[in-house]
Amino acid sequence: MVQIEADVAIVAAGASGLAASVAAAQLGLKVVTLEKSSTTGGAANMGMGPLGIESRLTRAKQFQPTQDQAFEVFMNYVHWQADGRLVREHLNKSGETISWLESLGVVFSEPASYFPGSFPTWHIVQPESGHPGPTAAATMLRIMTQRAKELGVKLMLQTPATRLVKDGNRITGVIAETQSGDEIQVNAKAVIVATGGFGDNPKMIKKHTGFDWGRDLHTFRIPGLEGDGMRMAWEAGAMSTPMRMELSFGVADPMALGLEWLPLFHQPHLMLNLQGERFINEAEGNDSFKGNAIALQKDRVCFFVFDETIKNEMKSYLDFINLVIQTPNVANIDEMIQKAVDSKYPHLFVANSAEDLAAQTGMDPVGLGTQLAEYNGFCEHGYDEVFIKPQRYLRPVKQAPYYALQLYPAGYGSLGGIKINYKTEVLDKEWSPIPGLYASGTDACNIYGDTYVFQLPGNTMGFAITTGRMAAEHAAAYIKSLG
Amino acid sequence: MIKLNIDGREIEATLGASVLTAALDAGIYIPHLCDHPDLRPAGICGLCVVEIDGVEGNPSSCESLAAEGMTVRTTTKPLLELRRAAMETMLADHPEECTTCTKYLNCELQSLKQYLGVSEHLSIERRNRHIPVDLSHPLFVFDFARCVKCMRCVRACNELRGAQVLKVVEDGEEKRVGIETGESWIEAGCRFCGACVEVCPTGAIMDKPELVQGKRRKEALVPCRANCPAEIDTARYVRFIGDGKYAESAAVIREKVPLPLVLGYVCVHPCEGSCRRALVNSPISLRNLKRFAVEHDTRHIWKEKARHEAPTGKRVAVVGSGPAGLTAAYYLAKLGHEVVVFEALPEPGGMLRYGIPEYRLPRAVIDAEIDEIRNAGVDIRTSRKIESLSVLIDDEEFDAVVVTTGAHKGSKLPIPGNNLRGVLDAVGFLRDVSLGTPGMIGNRVVVAGGGNVAFDCARVARRLGAEEVRIACLEPRDKMLASPEEIEEGIEEGIILHTSHGFKQVMGDDGQAVGLECLDVASFSVDDGKLKVEYVPGSEHVIPADTVIFAVGQRPEIPEDFDVELTARGLVEVDEYSLETSIEGVFAAGDVVSGTASVIQAIASARKTASAVDKFLGGKGNIEEKLAPESEWNPWIGKAGDFASEQRHEPCLHNPEERVTNFCLLDNGLDEENALAEAGRCLNCNLRLKITPVKFWGSY
Ligand SMILES: Cc1cc2nc3c(=O)[nH]c(=O)nc-3n(C[C@H](O)[C@H](O)[C@H](O)COP(=O)(O)OP(=O)(O)OC[C@H]3O[C@@H](n4cnc5c(N)ncnc54)[C@H](O)[C@@H]3O)c2cc1C
Ligand SMILES: Cc1cc2nc3c(=O)[nH]c(=O)nc-3n(C[C@H](O)[C@H](O)[C@H](O)COP(=O)(O)OP(=O)(O)OC[C@H]3O[C@@H](n4cnc5c(N)ncnc54)[C@H](O)[C@@H]3O)c2cc1C
Ligand code: SF4
Ligand code: SF4
Ligand code: FES
Repeated sequence: MVQIEADVAIVAAGASGLAASVAAAQLGLKVVTLEKSSTTGGAANMGMGPLGIESRLTRAKQFQPTQDQAFEVFMNYVHWQADGRLVREHLNKSGETISWLESLGVVFSEPASYFPGSFPTWHIVQPESGHPGPTAAATMLRIMTQRAKELGVKLMLQTPATRLVKDGNRITGVIAETQSGDEIQVNAKAVIVATGGFGDNPKMIKKHTGFDWGRDLHTFRIPGLEGDGMRMAWEAGAMSTPMRMELSFGVADPMALGLEWLPLFHQPHLMLNLQGERFINEAEGNDSFKGNAIALQKDRVCFFVFDETIKNEMKSYLDFINLVIQTPNVANIDEMIQKAVDSKYPHLFVANSAEDLAAQTGMDPVGLGTQLAEYNGFCEHGYDEVFIKPQRYLRPVKQAPYYALQLYPAGYGSLGGIKINYKTEVLDKEWSPIPGLYASGTDACNIYGDTYVFQLPGNTMGFAITTGRMAAEHAAAYIKSLG
Repeated sequence: MIKLNIDGREIEATLGASVLTAALDAGIYIPHLCDHPDLRPAGICGLCVVEIDGVEGNPSSCESLAAEGMTVRTTTKPLLELRRAAMETMLADHPEECTTCTKYLNCELQSLKQYLGVSEHLSIERRNRHIPVDLSHPLFVFDFARCVKCMRCVRACNELRGAQVLKVVEDGEEKRVGIETGESWIEAGCRFCGACVEVCPTGAIMDKPELVQGKRRKEALVPCRANCPAEIDTARYVRFIGDGKYAESAAVIREKVPLPLVLGYVCVHPCEGSCRRALVNSPISLRNLKRFAVEHDTRHIWKEKARHEAPTGKRVAVVGSGPAGLTAAYYLAKLGHEVVVFEALPEPGGMLRYGIPEYRLPRAVIDAEIDEIRNAGVDIRTSRKIESLSVLIDDEEFDAVVVTTGAHKGSKLPIPGNNLRGVLDAVGFLRDVSLGTPGMIGNRVVVAGGGNVAFDCARVARRLGAEEVRIACLEPRDKMLASPEEIEEGIEEGIILHTSHGFKQVMGDDGQAVGLECLDVASFSVDDGKLKVEYVPGSEHVIPADTVIFAVGQRPEIPEDFDVELTARGLVEVDEYSLETSIEGVFAAGDVVSGTASVIQAIASARKTASAVDKFLGGKGNIEEKLAPESEWNPWIGKAGDFASEQRHEPCLHNPEERVTNFCLLDNGLDEENALAEAGRCLNCNLRLKITPVKFWGSY
């Protein structure tokens, strides 16, 4: 077996692994980074940017929150179902992480919030061409990759790590497989694991979260995020943490439907469950809340329902837009619907009466009739007695044809799995650090309790980058202590 | 060698190299997409533009020849602008997001998007093209909405393979790659080689996800080899047969197994089970081809390069002469150790000789292959049952022992009447037949059990003259464990099946079995490996029989004095890595470790053990041999008309009435014409691995 020597071996070059690689190299360590894919950056390439609190940019704009406010908001939101010390480290260091990224050459546009009531902590990357928008963060990952290479990091693409090497209770390296199928061993004083969770592993999703991917869950599946790092760490004795999906909501098979639908079903129109009943204030802006609520309904589905009048209104005006859905192009909504019908997209229903809608969707006809009558009454009186949806969003649903789009819990990927402490040291089942083993990013991100903290957007990518840096720093100190 | 200057660096390049290749070889990355290391430059994508002193405009570096003294710049501002514009042109026709694309993170387009810092906000108008995904191909998925018209696939199909299937098609105003509208992939003459998949930079042509997901690359792309426990290079021996080189083909097989012809007759062929051609019509007849190659090997070139190490002075005892024992002995002898095999029965071969019936595996085949093993220096001592290992180690001074005693103890179901006269167990029955001492066998035989062993017993019983032979088993017909061929051939030979039957008791009369009382199965399911059966109440009925044979599994019989640790299932426990048993210097392999498996698994397990034993004895543990000549396959597979519909060729079975009268072989194997035709059906999956992988920017 080919042997490679390093001070620190970093498993994966996603957001977190790249941060760890650059930071470790800056600290003078000899770094070998193993990456499964051909491209660095992992899921983060799809994102827009990380969180920063009291960053240079937010301070310049006098944007809230301060570090202290953020900590309180965070811990109240998660009901202290998280390691407060780790959260504090992550939040307090996040502003400096932004400066650090800037020092590498990353340019950020103005910090943004995600929905009304969330904080402008989202540091969206300014791409080299075009406006900041979806996938903008890819540029940041490229810059981080280039800096890593300039700093002498040995980056091995298409080389998935397969298991950790343990000598006594100490981690002393990692074994990986090359493109040709041969094994190599990296001998290192410390190993940092950051493989981005198990969002592409339906079996693990089922086992650890209970969701049945493709049936009652339609999260993104970033190819290759199969829980490898977690398995490796567990095999080496690491303690596991509760695991969750980072929930929001969406449609099944979004490509078949067409991405132009994304802005539509984020509008505050009716959402009905299989009983034909409402279950949420549809104007709730926190997508994770909506995801949670859908997951509580029968079969974990609901229908986004609008009528002909609302459809026509949407052509010229949408209530909700944000940075992800900033340039909605739904003027041609008729075409969009026609296309979905023609292509037999199975989760869009067009009905000429409420009864027909119930028959097609499987909603309870009596429940639906009662609900429409009640809701239309609220619209008339201008007050939603049940869920207090603001009056301006109350539009009656009574003009055929009726439209319904089936929605499911969806979202980004998994969260958590490897237990770390606030120094990113991996703990064993007795809560003692496993010497030489660190984990960061999604693999170790179980700080959100039961619901992703969308209130402070950029949180997961921010956690990934900041904990990656922390892991590098703590590993460097550990290596130094070995002499 | 010529010298040129790129971005201020003096570099060397070979004469005839393009500027792009020269730069990449020197570690200078120039973005490129349509260029591919194995294809002729095409100058389509416009990403690789550079500035060259003395050359007008912005030439494509893939199409410009490197020249002595040339000065090239690759990163000026105007170039970056040109690249972005070229990228936007491609992206304008491409779906806006990668979120559902399984190529993501292994996609050259996405990697270039990242490298060039191009976001999805284009400065030009997007065209929303709705091209449905083509799922009609048996192996690949064509999602031409993700096509960027780099033409790599078309070039690979025509330049590399000469298959002339993919082309540029004009669909109205639109030009696209693919096959003619309305034509099927089969009609188009697809050879299923996967070159297009391999070179496509985007998610436009991909392997069907179920064929690749969660699998290693080689396992996914050349599954026949990966699924052979001994990793015989299947595709390579098939290719040699196709070229008429039978000795070379046999040598390839010999590189991994010492019993190639035995396998050609009876291997359970997991390779065939995974053959990708099965998705086109039916798998390649790999086992029959193996038999053909070995039987037609007249030159035995494998002997020329066979390993023969100098004597080491170490002595190894092997207990049991089945395929595992013979294999371990063979490789250890070749490594220079003195090897003695002890066998309890009068002749060597284990289950090959005493389990598998002669009509499937002629004894002469076993004898010939064992002779070769003896020729390698193995001393086989038969009729020597070993009762204690310490005798071997302490008294006979062997340095290491390999236990390969198999699983020879037949089982009977624990039901009343199982001790009556006329009640037998399968392996006992078959052994007695092979020893030439079959006990009394009645006219009416019932075999209880639905696996291959049950069919062996039933078919042997027919050949011994039993007139009415039945097989009764728990499973419904479609879940029977026996292979479809066994079932079919058995039925041809007049065997009567009673599926979905449970067993209550053997009925007796005066100590002699007279029938098997059965129950109908109401429901049968296997849940998480656990069998769940429910019976129809009151459905008891008796199948009359004077001989009842239980074919319900067998287990090892390990003498007390061996003193090795056993698993809960009564198998010998070995360390996962060292393959050693609980006793130092004592190893084990084959069925005694795994329970009844197969000949090829026994061989594969013994190969690993031989290597481990050699290491234990101070060697390097290297048993690998290169016996066949090197071969560079011509990647030009050419055009073939009706390639996809060519049917599997199988040897012609003798007619059943004749078969049941004797123990002669069931068939004569493939003839030369059929063997060549069968080899020609191979999809050449391994050619794909010869295509140079593309290096992404992060690797420069
Ligand atoms: C569409 C989308 C948009 C998003 N937008 C945002 C956003 O704007 N802001 C935000 O905060 N978060 C966002 N996220 C979440 C964010 O991308 C992740 O939280 C972040 O990428 C996690 O970083 P990571 O390093 O832990 O994992 P990743 O970035 O996913 O990296 C994991 C890496 O591990 C590699 N790997 C896996 N197995 C192995 C192995 N065995 N050996 C070697 N390498 C391996 C993978 O190939 C990958 O490169 C978004 C996610 C998605 C899907
Ligand atoms: C009826 C039947 C049909 C089969 N058909 C097929 C088939 O078609 N294809 C296939 O691939 N597999 C088949 N198998 C399985 C296959 O035969 C076995 O998996 C394989 O032979 C195992 O090899 P082995 O060397 O581990 O053990 P065995 O072949 O069982 O050899 C063990 C040897 O050890 C000897 N021995 C045992 N104890 C002692 C002792 N104390 N001292 C000295 N010697 C001892 C035995 O006499 C025997 O010769 C079949 C099995 C059976 C029972
Ligand atoms: S082909 Fe490449 S760029 Fe296109 S969607 Fe797939 S991963 Fe993204
Ligand atoms: S299918 Fe792939 S290889 Fe063929 S032209 Fe399109 S992008 Fe290129
Ligand atoms: S790589 Fe040269 S034009 Fe595409």
